Amino acid sequence: MASVSDMYDVTWEEMRDKLRKWREENYRNSEQIVEVGEELIQEHASKLGDDIWIIYEQVMIAALDCSRDDLATTCLHELKKQFQGSHRVKRLAGMRLEALERYDEALKMYNDILQDDSTNTAARKRKIAILKAQGKSTEAIRELNEYLEQFVGDQEAWHELAELYINEHDYAKAAFSLEELMMTNPHNHLYCEQYAEVKYTQGGMENLELSRKYFAQALKLNNRNMRALFGLYMSASHIAASPKVSAKVKKDNVKYAAWAASQINRAYQLAGHGTKETKCSLKAVEEMLESMQIMPS
Amino acid sequence: MAEPELLLDSNIRLWVILPIVFITFLVGVIRHYVSILLQSDKKLTLEQVSDSQVLIRSRILRENGKYIPKQSFLMRKFFFNNQDDGFFKKTKRKVIPPSPMTDPSMLTDMIKGNVTNVLPMLLIGGWINWTFSGFVTTKVPFPLTLRFKPMLQQGIELLTLDASWVSSASWYFLNVFGLRSMYSLILGQDNGADQSRIMQEQMSGAAMAMPADTNKAFKAEWEALELTDHQWALEGLEEELMSKDLDLDNMFSSELPTGIF
Repeated sequence: MASVSDMYDVTWEEMRDKLRKWREENYRNSEQIVEVGEELIQEHASKLGDDIWIIYEQVMIAALDCSRDDLATTCLHELKKQFQGSHRVKRLAGMRLEALERYDEALKMYNDILQDDSTNTAARKRKIAILKAQGKSTEAIRELNEYLEQFVGDQEAWHELAELYINEHDYAKAAFSLEELMMTNPHNHLYCEQYAEVKYTQGGMENLELSRKYFAQALKLNNRNMRALFGLYMSASHIAASPKVSAKVKKDNVKYAAWAASQINRAYQLAGHGTKETKCSLKAVEEMLESMQIMPS
Repeated sequence: MAEPELLLDSNIRLWVILPIVFITFLVGVIRHYVSILLQSDKKLTLEQVSDSQVLIRSRILRENGKYIPKQSFLMRKFFFNNQDDGFFKKTKRKVIPPSPMTDPSMLTDMIKGNVTNVLPMLLIGGWINWTFSGFVTTKVPFPLTLRFKPMLQQGIELLTLDASWVSSASWYFLNVFGLRSMYSLILGQDNGADQSRIMQEQMSGAAMAMPADTNKAFKAEWEALELTDHQWALEGLEEELMSKDLDLDNMFSSELPTGIF
Protein backbone atom coordinates (compact mmCIF):
# COMPACT_ATOMS: atom_id res chain seq x y z
CA MET A 1 0.00 0.00 0.00
CA ALA A 2 1.77 3.10 -1.20
CA SER A 3 1.36 6.06 1.07
CA VAL A 4 -0.01 9.31 -0.24
CA SER A 5 3.33 11.05 0.23
CA ASP A 6 5.05 8.37 -1.86
CA MET A 7 2.49 8.31 -4.60
CA TYR A 8 2.42 12.03 -5.14
CA ASP A 9 5.86 12.83 -3.79
CA VAL A 10 4.68 15.46 -1.30
CA THR A 11 5.89 16.44 2.13
CA TRP A 12 3.75 16.43 5.24
CA GLU A 13 3.57 20.22 5.15
CA GLU A 14 1.99 20.13 1.71
CA MET A 15 -0.50 17.55 2.92
CA ARG A 16 -1.39 19.71 5.89
CA ASP A 17 -1.81 22.78 3.67
CA LYS A 18 -4.00 20.83 1.28
CA LEU A 19 -6.23 19.80 4.19
CA ARG A 20 -6.43 23.40 5.28
CA LYS A 21 -7.45 24.50 1.80
CA TRP A 22 -10.18 21.84 1.72
CA ARG A 23 -11.34 22.93 5.16
CA GLU A 24 -11.51 26.61 4.34
CA GLU A 25 -13.26 26.14 1.03
CA ASN A 26 -15.72 23.61 2.40
CA TYR A 27 -14.91 20.76 0.05
CA ARG A 28 -16.70 17.47 0.56
CA ASN A 29 -14.18 15.11 -1.05
CA SER A 30 -14.35 12.75 1.91
CA GLU A 31 -12.36 9.86 0.44
CA GLN A 32 -9.43 12.09 -0.37
CA ILE A 33 -9.59 13.74 3.04
CA VAL A 34 -9.58 10.34 4.72
CA GLU A 35 -6.58 9.18 2.64
CA VAL A 36 -4.48 12.26 3.25
CA GLY A 37 -5.68 12.89 6.80
CA GLU A 38 -5.22 9.32 8.03
CA GLU A 39 -1.62 9.27 6.94
CA LEU A 40 -0.99 12.69 8.46
CA ILE A 41 -2.42 11.59 11.81
CA GLN A 42 -0.63 8.25 11.91
CA GLU A 43 2.78 9.28 10.68
CA HIS A 44 3.20 12.94 11.49
CA ALA A 45 1.06 13.59 14.55
CA SER A 46 3.87 15.04 16.65
CA LYS A 47 4.93 17.54 14.01
CA LEU A 48 1.50 19.06 13.61
CA GLY A 49 1.31 20.74 16.99
CA ASP A 50 -2.00 22.37 17.77
CA ASP A 51 -3.23 21.94 14.20
CA ILE A 52 -3.89 18.33 14.95
CA TRP A 53 -7.18 18.94 16.77
CA ILE A 54 -8.88 20.62 13.87
CA ILE A 55 -7.52 17.96 11.55
CA TYR A 56 -9.02 15.31 13.84
CA GLU A 57 -12.39 17.01 13.48
CA GLN A 58 -12.09 17.29 9.70
CA VAL A 59 -10.95 13.69 9.25
CA MET A 60 -13.62 12.39 11.59
CA ILE A 61 -16.45 13.95 9.62
CA ALA A 62 -14.93 12.64 6.38
CA ALA A 63 -14.55 9.17 7.93
CA LEU A 64 -18.25 9.17 8.86
CA ASP A 65 -19.01 9.92 5.21
CA CYS A 66 -16.95 6.92 4.11
CA SER A 67 -18.33 4.58 6.79
CA ARG A 68 -14.91 4.32 8.42
CA ASP A 69 -16.19 3.96 11.97
CA ASP A 70 -12.80 2.77 13.23
CA LEU A 71 -11.07 5.96 12.15
CA ALA A 72 -13.96 8.08 13.39
CA THR A 73 -13.87 6.49 16.83
CA THR A 74 -10.11 7.04 17.12
CA CYS A 75 -10.42 10.71 16.25
CA LEU A 76 -13.36 11.18 18.58
CA HIS A 77 -11.50 9.48 21.42
CA GLU A 78 -8.52 11.81 21.03
CA LEU A 79 -10.73 14.88 20.91
CA LYS A 80 -12.70 13.79 23.99
CA LYS A 81 -9.47 13.32 25.91
CA GLN A 82 -8.24 16.77 25.04
CA PHE A 83 -11.43 18.80 25.24
CA GLN A 84 -13.57 17.39 27.97
CA GLY A 85 -17.08 18.75 28.30
CA SER A 86 -16.89 20.63 25.04
CA HIS A 87 -20.09 21.17 23.11
CA ARG A 88 -18.27 20.98 19.82
CA VAL A 89 -16.94 17.51 20.64
CA LYS A 90 -20.33 16.43 21.90
CA ARG A 91 -21.83 17.39 18.56
CA LEU A 92 -19.25 15.21 16.82
CA ALA A 93 -20.19 12.31 19.08
CA GLY A 94 -23.81 12.87 18.10
CA MET A 95 -22.85 12.85 14.42
CA ARG A 96 -21.16 9.49 14.86
CA LEU A 97 -24.33 8.09 16.42
CA GLU A 98 -26.29 9.47 13.48
CA ALA A 99 -23.94 7.71 11.07
CA LEU A 100 -24.66 4.46 12.92
CA GLU A 101 -28.36 5.22 12.60
CA ARG A 102 -28.81 5.36 16.38
CA TYR A 103 -30.98 8.43 16.03
CA ASP A 104 -32.61 8.41 19.46
CA GLU A 105 -29.28 8.50 21.27
CA ALA A 106 -28.02 11.21 18.95
CA LEU A 107 -31.18 13.23 19.60
CA LYS A 108 -30.61 12.93 23.33
CA MET A 109 -27.05 14.26 23.00
CA TYR A 110 -28.21 17.27 21.02
CA ASN A 111 -30.98 18.02 23.48
CA ASP A 112 -28.39 17.97 26.26
CA ILE A 113 -26.28 20.53 24.42
CA LEU A 114 -29.30 22.75 23.86
CA GLN A 115 -30.29 22.59 27.50
CA ASP A 116 -26.86 23.86 28.41
CA ASP A 117 -26.64 26.53 25.76
CA SER A 118 -29.79 27.50 23.93
CA THR A 119 -27.98 29.56 21.31
CA ASN A 120 -25.99 26.62 19.99
CA THR A 121 -26.84 26.54 16.29
CA ALA A 122 -24.87 23.40 15.44
CA ALA A 123 -26.98 21.13 17.65
CA ARG A 124 -30.23 22.54 16.26
CA LYS A 125 -29.10 21.97 12.73
CA ARG A 126 -28.10 18.39 13.46
CA LYS A 127 -31.56 17.71 14.86
CA ILE A 128 -33.05 18.92 11.59
CA ALA A 129 -30.56 16.75 9.71
CA ILE A 130 -31.78 13.73 11.67
CA LEU A 131 -35.35 14.43 10.56
CA LYS A 132 -34.17 14.73 7.00
CA ALA A 133 -32.23 11.46 7.22
CA GLN A 134 -35.30 9.69 8.56
CA GLY A 135 -37.25 10.92 5.54
CA LYS A 136 -39.61 13.13 7.53
CA SER A 137 -39.31 16.08 5.18
CA THR A 138 -42.43 17.96 6.26
CA GLU A 139 -41.26 17.99 9.86
CA ALA A 140 -37.76 18.89 8.79
CA ILE A 141 -39.18 21.83 6.85
CA ARG A 142 -41.24 22.94 9.82
CA GLU A 143 -38.30 22.73 12.23
CA LEU A 144 -36.03 24.52 9.77
CA ASN A 145 -38.57 27.32 9.44
CA GLU A 146 -38.69 27.73 13.21
CA TYR A 147 -34.90 27.73 13.33
CA LEU A 148 -34.74 30.40 10.64
CA GLU A 149 -37.21 32.57 12.53
CA GLN A 150 -34.63 32.80 15.28
CA PHE A 151 -31.49 32.89 13.18
CA VAL A 152 -32.42 34.78 10.04
CA GLY A 153 -28.85 35.24 8.97
CA ASP A 154 -27.85 31.61 8.55
CA GLN A 155 -27.23 31.23 4.82
CA GLU A 156 -26.46 27.54 4.95
CA ALA A 157 -29.89 27.00 6.46
CA TRP A 158 -31.65 29.08 3.80
CA HIS A 159 -30.02 27.02 1.08
CA GLU A 160 -31.03 23.78 2.78
CA LEU A 161 -34.58 25.08 3.05
CA ALA A 162 -34.61 25.93 -0.66
CA GLU A 163 -33.47 22.40 -1.47
CA LEU A 164 -36.12 20.83 0.77
CA TYR A 165 -38.85 22.93 -0.82
CA ILE A 166 -37.67 22.01 -4.31
CA ASN A 167 -37.90 18.35 -3.36
CA GLU A 168 -41.44 18.93 -2.18
CA HIS A 169 -42.22 20.82 -5.41
CA ASP A 170 -43.18 23.92 -3.43
CA TYR A 171 -41.46 26.27 -5.85
CA ALA A 172 -42.88 29.53 -4.57
CA LYS A 173 -41.33 29.05 -1.13
CA ALA A 174 -38.09 27.76 -2.66
CA ALA A 175 -37.94 30.98 -4.68
CA PHE A 176 -38.37 32.99 -1.45
CA SER A 177 -35.44 31.21 0.19
CA LEU A 178 -33.26 31.69 -2.86
CA GLU A 179 -34.14 35.40 -2.86
CA GLU A 180 -32.72 35.64 0.66
CA LEU A 181 -29.52 34.06 -0.60
CA MET A 182 -29.35 36.34 -3.62
CA MET A 183 -29.74 39.39 -1.38
CA THR A 184 -26.91 38.39 0.90
CA ASN A 185 -24.65 37.24 -1.94
CA PRO A 186 -25.46 39.45 -4.92
CA HIS A 187 -22.35 38.44 -6.82
CA ASN A 188 -22.84 34.68 -6.65
CA HIS A 189 -23.92 33.55 -10.10
CA LEU A 190 -25.00 30.11 -8.90
CA TYR A 191 -27.81 31.43 -6.71
CA CYS A 192 -29.10 33.55 -9.61
CA GLU A 193 -29.03 30.53 -11.87
CA GLN A 194 -30.82 28.27 -9.39
CA TYR A 195 -33.44 30.96 -8.80
CA ALA A 196 -33.97 31.30 -12.54
CA GLU A 197 -34.41 27.52 -12.86
CA VAL A 198 -37.03 27.51 -10.10
CA LYS A 199 -38.89 30.36 -11.77
CA TYR A 200 -38.74 28.55 -15.12
CA THR A 201 -40.19 25.43 -13.50
CA GLN A 202 -43.00 27.39 -11.94
CA GLY A 203 -44.07 28.51 -15.40
CA GLY A 204 -46.42 31.31 -16.41
CA MET A 205 -45.50 34.35 -18.43
CA GLU A 206 -44.33 36.53 -15.54
CA ASN A 207 -42.14 33.77 -14.11
CA LEU A 208 -40.66 33.01 -17.51
CA GLU A 209 -39.71 36.66 -17.94
CA LEU A 210 -38.13 36.70 -14.49
CA SER A 211 -36.25 33.49 -15.21
CA ARG A 212 -34.90 34.91 -18.45
CA LYS A 213 -33.73 38.01 -16.58
CA TYR A 214 -31.99 35.99 -13.90
CA PHE A 215 -30.35 33.63 -16.37
CA ALA A 216 -28.98 36.76 -18.02
CA GLN A 217 -27.81 38.06 -14.63
CA ALA A 218 -26.01 34.77 -13.94
CA LEU A 219 -24.33 35.07 -17.33
CA LYS A 220 -23.33 38.63 -16.63
CA LEU A 221 -21.76 37.60 -13.34
CA ASN A 222 -19.98 34.66 -14.93
CA ASN A 223 -19.71 34.57 -18.70
CA ARG A 224 -18.91 30.87 -18.72
CA ASN A 225 -22.00 29.52 -17.00
CA MET A 226 -23.17 27.16 -19.75
CA ARG A 227 -26.24 26.13 -17.82
CA ALA A 228 -27.37 29.73 -17.63
CA LEU A 229 -26.72 30.12 -21.34
CA PHE A 230 -28.90 27.13 -22.17
CA GLY A 231 -31.48 28.40 -19.68
CA LEU A 232 -31.52 31.77 -21.40
CA TYR A 233 -32.08 30.07 -24.74
CA MET A 234 -34.90 27.92 -23.37
CA SER A 235 -36.74 30.67 -21.55
CA ALA A 236 -36.44 33.10 -24.46
CA SER A 237 -37.71 30.54 -26.98
CA HIS A 238 -40.48 29.55 -24.60
CA ILE A 239 -41.72 33.13 -24.35
CA ALA A 240 -41.35 33.66 -28.09
CA ALA A 241 -43.35 30.52 -28.85
CA SER A 242 -46.23 31.40 -26.58
CA PRO A 243 -49.32 32.55 -28.49
CA LYS A 244 -50.33 35.21 -25.99
CA VAL A 245 -47.42 37.61 -26.34
CA SER A 246 -47.38 40.87 -28.21
CA ALA A 247 -45.39 41.15 -31.42
CA LYS A 248 -42.69 43.29 -29.86
CA VAL A 249 -42.07 40.89 -26.99
CA LYS A 250 -41.95 38.02 -29.44
CA LYS A 251 -39.43 39.81 -31.63
CA ASP A 252 -37.24 40.64 -28.64
CA ASN A 253 -37.25 37.11 -27.37
CA VAL A 254 -36.49 35.64 -30.77
CA LYS A 255 -33.51 37.97 -30.87
CA TYR A 256 -32.38 36.84 -27.41
CA ALA A 257 -32.76 33.19 -28.31
CA ALA A 258 -30.78 33.66 -31.50
CA TRP A 259 -27.98 35.39 -29.64
CA ALA A 260 -27.89 32.61 -27.04
CA ALA A 261 -27.75 29.99 -29.80
CA SER A 262 -24.85 31.74 -31.50
CA GLN A 263 -22.95 31.89 -28.21
CA ILE A 264 -23.57 28.19 -27.62
CA ASN A 265 -22.18 27.46 -31.05
CA ARG A 266 -19.14 29.56 -30.29
CA ALA A 267 -18.54 27.71 -27.06
CA TYR A 268 -18.70 24.31 -28.73
CA GLN A 269 -16.37 25.55 -31.43
CA LEU A 270 -13.84 26.64 -28.83
CA ALA A 271 -14.20 23.33 -27.06
CA GLY A 272 -13.27 21.42 -30.15
CA HIS A 273 -10.15 23.53 -30.76
CA GLY A 274 -10.81 23.40 -34.47
CA THR A 275 -10.27 19.67 -34.86
CA LYS A 276 -12.04 17.54 -37.41
CA GLU A 277 -14.59 16.30 -34.93
CA THR A 278 -15.67 19.87 -34.32
CA LYS A 279 -17.65 20.02 -37.51
CA CYS A 280 -19.62 16.94 -36.56
CA SER A 281 -20.23 18.14 -33.02
CA LEU A 282 -21.27 21.58 -34.27
CA LYS A 283 -23.84 19.99 -36.48
CA ALA A 284 -25.04 17.97 -33.49
CA VAL A 285 -25.35 21.16 -31.46
CA GLU A 286 -27.40 22.83 -34.16
CA GLU A 287 -29.71 19.87 -34.39
CA MET A 288 -30.05 19.86 -30.61
CA LEU A 289 -30.96 23.52 -30.59
CA GLU A 290 -33.53 22.89 -33.30
CA SER A 291 -35.07 20.06 -31.33
CA MET A 292 -35.27 22.23 -28.23
CA GLN A 293 -37.41 24.77 -29.98
CA ILE A 294 -40.76 25.04 -28.30
CA MET A 295 -43.51 24.85 -30.84
CA PRO A 296 -46.68 26.80 -30.06
CA SER A 297 -49.26 24.31 -28.94
CA MET B 1 17.36 84.20 22.32
CA ALA B 2 18.54 80.64 22.45
CA GLU B 3 18.44 79.01 25.83
CA PRO B 4 21.77 77.53 26.92
CA GLU B 5 21.54 73.79 26.45
CA LEU B 6 21.75 71.71 29.58
CA LEU B 7 24.10 68.80 29.52
CA LEU B 8 22.66 65.82 31.38
CA ASP B 9 24.72 63.21 33.11
CA SER B 10 24.81 60.08 30.97
CA ASN B 11 24.13 58.08 34.09
CA ILE B 12 20.61 59.44 33.87
CA ARG B 13 20.21 57.70 30.57
CA LEU B 14 21.51 54.41 31.94
CA TRP B 15 19.81 54.30 35.29
CA VAL B 16 16.61 56.24 34.74
CA ILE B 17 15.34 56.26 31.20
CA LEU B 18 15.98 52.62 30.35
CA PRO B 19 14.69 51.22 33.68
CA ILE B 20 11.49 53.20 33.34
CA VAL B 21 10.95 51.84 29.83
CA PHE B 22 11.52 48.28 31.03
CA ILE B 23 9.25 48.72 34.02
CA THR B 24 6.43 50.13 31.95
CA PHE B 25 6.75 47.42 29.35
CA LEU B 26 6.83 44.56 31.83
CA VAL B 27 3.93 45.95 33.79
CA GLY B 28 1.97 46.15 30.56
CA VAL B 29 2.70 42.54 29.70
CA ILE B 30 1.70 41.42 33.19
CA ARG B 31 -1.53 43.41 32.89
CA HIS B 32 -2.29 41.64 29.64
CA TYR B 33 -2.00 38.18 31.14
CA VAL B 34 -3.88 39.15 34.28
CA SER B 35 -6.75 40.47 32.19
CA ILE B 36 -6.90 37.16 30.32
CA LEU B 37 -7.11 35.26 33.60
CA LEU B 38 -9.83 37.47 34.98
CA GLN B 39 -11.92 37.52 31.82
CA SER B 40 -15.50 36.47 32.29
CA ASP B 41 -17.49 34.79 29.54
CA LYS B 42 -20.16 36.96 28.06
CA LYS B 43 -23.26 34.86 27.64
CA LEU B 44 -25.60 36.11 24.98
CA THR B 45 -29.25 35.31 25.20
CA LEU B 46 -31.12 33.80 22.30
CA GLU B 47 -33.14 36.97 21.93
CA GLN B 48 -30.06 39.18 21.56
CA VAL B 49 -28.57 36.94 18.90
CA SER B 50 -31.85 36.77 17.06
CA ASP B 51 -32.36 40.54 17.18
CA SER B 52 -28.89 41.32 15.90
CA GLN B 53 -29.47 38.99 12.96
CA VAL B 54 -32.83 40.56 12.18
CA LEU B 55 -31.20 43.99 12.10
CA ILE B 56 -28.56 42.68 9.72
CA ARG B 57 -31.25 41.21 7.47
CA SER B 58 -33.11 44.47 7.32
CA ARG B 59 -29.93 46.32 6.46
CA ILE B 60 -29.16 43.85 3.67
CA LEU B 61 -32.69 44.32 2.38
CA ARG B 62 -32.10 48.04 2.14
CA GLU B 63 -28.73 47.73 0.47
CA ASN B 64 -29.20 44.75 -1.83
CA GLY B 65 -32.95 44.79 -2.33
CA LYS B 66 -32.37 45.89 -5.87
CA TYR B 67 -31.20 42.43 -6.89
CA ILE B 68 -34.50 40.71 -6.15
CA PRO B 69 -37.77 41.25 -8.01
CA LYS B 70 -39.91 44.21 -7.02
CA GLN B 71 -42.71 42.04 -5.67
CA SER B 72 -40.37 40.20 -3.31
CA PHE B 73 -38.84 43.41 -2.06
CA LEU B 74 -42.25 44.89 -1.32
CA MET B 75 -43.31 41.70 0.43
CA ARG B 76 -40.35 41.89 2.78
CA LYS B 77 -40.70 45.61 3.34
CA PHE B 78 -44.32 45.03 4.24
CA PHE B 79 -43.35 42.30 6.68
CA PHE B 80 -41.02 44.65 8.51
CA ASN B 81 -42.78 47.97 8.33
CA ASN B 82 -46.49 47.30 8.17
CA GLN B 83 -48.51 49.69 10.29
CA ASP B 84 -50.29 47.18 12.46
CA ASP B 85 -48.21 44.07 12.67
CA GLY B 86 -44.90 44.75 10.98
CA PHE B 87 -41.99 43.28 12.85
CA PHE B 88 -40.42 46.59 13.78
CA LYS B 89 -43.69 48.05 14.88
CA LYS B 90 -44.85 45.07 16.84
CA THR B 91 -41.78 43.94 18.70
CA LYS B 92 -41.01 45.74 21.89
CA ARG B 93 -38.16 44.31 23.92
CA LYS B 94 -38.15 44.64 27.67
CA VAL B 95 -35.48 47.18 28.36
CA ILE B 96 -33.48 47.16 31.58
CA PRO B 97 -30.79 49.82 31.45
CA PRO B 98 -27.64 48.04 32.55
CA SER B 99 -26.64 50.23 35.47
CA PRO B 100 -23.87 48.84 37.67
CA MET B 101 -26.10 48.52 40.69
CA THR B 102 -28.76 46.26 39.25
CA ASP B 103 -26.56 44.14 37.05
CA PRO B 104 -24.02 42.24 39.17
CA SER B 105 -21.89 41.05 36.28
CA MET B 106 -21.45 44.63 35.05
CA LEU B 107 -20.34 45.63 38.55
CA THR B 108 -17.66 42.98 38.72
CA ASP B 109 -16.51 43.89 35.21
CA MET B 110 -16.11 47.51 36.26
CA ILE B 111 -14.15 46.59 39.38
CA LYS B 112 -11.92 44.27 37.43
CA GLY B 113 -11.30 46.96 34.83
CA ASN B 114 -10.34 49.45 37.51
CA VAL B 115 -8.07 47.05 39.33
CA THR B 116 -6.15 45.93 36.29
CA ASN B 117 -5.72 49.29 34.67
CA VAL B 118 -6.11 52.37 36.79
CA LEU B 119 -4.66 51.07 40.05
CA PRO B 120 -1.29 49.86 38.73
CA MET B 121 -0.87 53.06 36.80
CA LEU B 122 -1.39 55.20 39.88
CA LEU B 123 0.81 53.02 42.08
CA ILE B 124 3.70 52.79 39.71
CA GLY B 125 3.45 56.43 38.71
CA GLY B 126 3.67 57.43 42.34
CA TRP B 127 6.54 55.05 43.07
CA ILE B 128 8.54 56.32 40.10
CA ASN B 129 7.89 59.88 41.15
CA TRP B 130 9.20 59.09 44.63
CA THR B 131 12.22 57.07 43.49
CA PHE B 132 13.41 59.05 40.55
CA SER B 133 12.84 62.54 41.87
CA GLY B 134 14.98 65.61 42.17
CA PHE B 135 16.49 65.65 38.71
CA VAL B 136 15.59 66.40 35.16
CA THR B 137 15.15 63.35 32.96
CA THR B 138 14.59 64.47 29.43
CA LYS B 139 13.54 67.32 27.19
CA VAL B 140 10.44 67.29 25.06
CA PRO B 141 11.23 68.46 21.52
CA PHE B 142 8.61 71.22 21.45
CA PRO B 143 8.41 74.36 23.59
CA LEU B 144 5.86 74.39 26.40
CA THR B 145 4.37 77.27 28.35
CA LEU B 146 5.04 77.91 32.00
CA ARG B 147 1.68 76.50 33.01
CA PHE B 148 2.99 73.00 32.38
CA LYS B 149 5.83 73.39 34.85
CA PRO B 150 4.14 72.19 38.05
CA MET B 151 2.65 69.23 36.17
CA LEU B 152 5.70 68.00 34.37
CA GLN B 153 8.48 69.10 36.69
CA GLN B 154 7.37 67.51 39.95
CA GLY B 155 10.16 67.65 42.48
CA ILE B 156 12.37 70.10 40.63
CA GLU B 157 12.29 73.46 42.34
CA LEU B 158 13.77 75.74 39.71
CA LEU B 159 11.78 78.75 38.63
CA THR B 160 13.89 79.63 35.62
CA LEU B 161 14.12 76.17 34.11
CA ASP B 162 12.51 75.83 30.69
CA ALA B 163 9.23 73.96 30.84
CA SER B 164 10.44 71.58 28.15
CA TRP B 165 12.68 69.82 30.63
CA VAL B 166 10.55 67.19 32.34
CA SER B 167 10.86 64.84 35.25
CA SER B 168 10.79 61.07 35.28
CA ALA B 169 7.11 60.86 36.09
CA SER B 170 6.25 62.48 32.78
CA TRP B 171 8.66 60.12 31.02
CA TYR B 172 6.70 57.29 32.62
CA PHE B 173 3.42 58.60 31.26
CA LEU B 174 4.94 59.10 27.84
CA ASN B 175 5.98 55.47 27.91
CA VAL B 176 2.56 54.21 28.90
CA PHE B 177 1.02 55.65 25.77
CA GLY B 178 4.00 55.22 23.49
CA LEU B 179 4.48 51.51 24.09
CA ARG B 180 1.01 50.76 22.72
CA SER B 181 2.36 49.89 19.30
CA MET B 182 5.03 47.72 20.86
CA TYR B 183 2.30 45.78 22.64
CA SER B 184 0.39 45.16 19.41
CA LEU B 185 3.58 43.94 17.80
CA ILE B 186 4.37 41.50 20.59
CA LEU B 187 1.05 40.51 22.07
CA GLY B 188 -1.05 40.75 18.92
CA GLN B 189 -4.00 43.03 18.38
CA ASP B 190 -6.69 43.46 21.00
CA ASN B 191 -4.38 42.92 23.96
CA GLY B 192 -5.17 43.67 27.57
CA ALA B 193 -2.22 46.00 28.05
CA ASP B 194 -3.53 48.59 25.67
CA GLN B 195 -4.51 51.21 28.17
CA SER B 196 -5.57 54.05 25.92
CA ARG B 197 -7.93 51.75 24.05
CA ILE B 198 -9.48 50.66 27.34
CA MET B 199 -9.96 54.25 28.42
CA GLN B 200 -11.61 55.03 25.09
CA GLU B 201 -13.88 52.07 25.56
CA GLN B 202 -14.88 53.20 28.99
CA MET B 203 -15.82 56.59 27.61
CA SER B 204 -17.80 55.29 24.68
CA GLY B 205 -19.10 52.30 26.64
CA ALA B 206 -22.07 54.28 27.84
CA ALA B 207 -23.07 55.00 24.27
CA MET B 208 -22.82 51.36 23.25
CA ALA B 209 -25.01 49.66 25.84
CA MET B 210 -26.63 47.03 23.67
CA PRO B 211 -29.85 45.93 25.44
CA ALA B 212 -31.21 49.44 25.90
CA ASP B 213 -30.58 50.20 22.28
CA THR B 214 -32.61 47.40 20.75
CA ASN B 215 -35.83 49.36 20.67
CA LYS B 216 -34.05 52.42 19.35
CA ALA B 217 -32.23 50.31 16.77
CA PHE B 218 -35.54 48.89 15.60
CA LYS B 219 -37.00 52.37 15.28
CA ALA B 220 -33.99 53.57 13.30
CA GLU B 221 -34.24 50.57 10.97
CA TRP B 222 -37.95 51.17 10.48
CA GLU B 223 -37.33 54.73 9.40
CA ALA B 224 -34.48 53.78 7.08
CA LEU B 225 -36.53 51.02 5.47
CA GLU B 226 -39.51 53.33 4.94
CA LEU B 227 -37.31 55.60 2.91
CA THR B 228 -35.88 52.87 0.70
CA ASP B 229 -37.18 52.44 -2.79
CA HIS B 230 -36.75 49.54 -5.16
CA GLN B 231 -34.57 50.24 -8.18
CA TRP B 232 -34.32 46.97 -10.00
CA ALA B 233 -30.72 46.37 -10.99
CA LEU B 234 -31.76 44.01 -13.77
CA GLU B 235 -33.74 46.54 -15.79
CA GLY B 236 -31.78 46.89 -19.02
CA LEU B 237 -29.82 43.74 -18.47
CA GLU B 238 -30.38 41.74 -21.67
CA GLU B 239 -29.43 44.61 -23.99
CA GLU B 240 -26.27 45.21 -22.01
CA LEU B 241 -25.36 41.52 -21.98
CA MET B 242 -25.95 40.96 -25.65
CA SER B 243 -24.12 44.00 -26.85
CA LYS B 244 -20.97 41.92 -27.05
CA ASP B 245 -19.90 38.31 -27.29
CA LEU B 246 -19.39 36.30 -24.12
CA ASP B 247 -15.86 36.09 -22.83
CA LEU B 248 -15.06 32.40 -23.22
CA ASP B 249 -11.28 32.63 -23.14
CA ASN B 250 -9.43 29.79 -21.50
CA MET B 251 -12.67 28.06 -20.79
CA PHE B 252 -11.37 24.76 -22.05
CA SER B 253 -7.85 24.38 -20.87
CA SER B 254 -5.97 21.37 -22.10
CA GLU B 255 -4.59 20.54 -18.69
CA LEU B 256 -6.82 18.58 -16.37
CA PRO B 257 -5.86 18.18 -12.71
CA THR B 258 -4.98 14.58 -11.92
CA GLY B 259 -5.29 13.17 -8.45
CA ILE B 260 -5.07 15.09 -5.23
CA PHE B 261 -1.97 17.23 -5.68
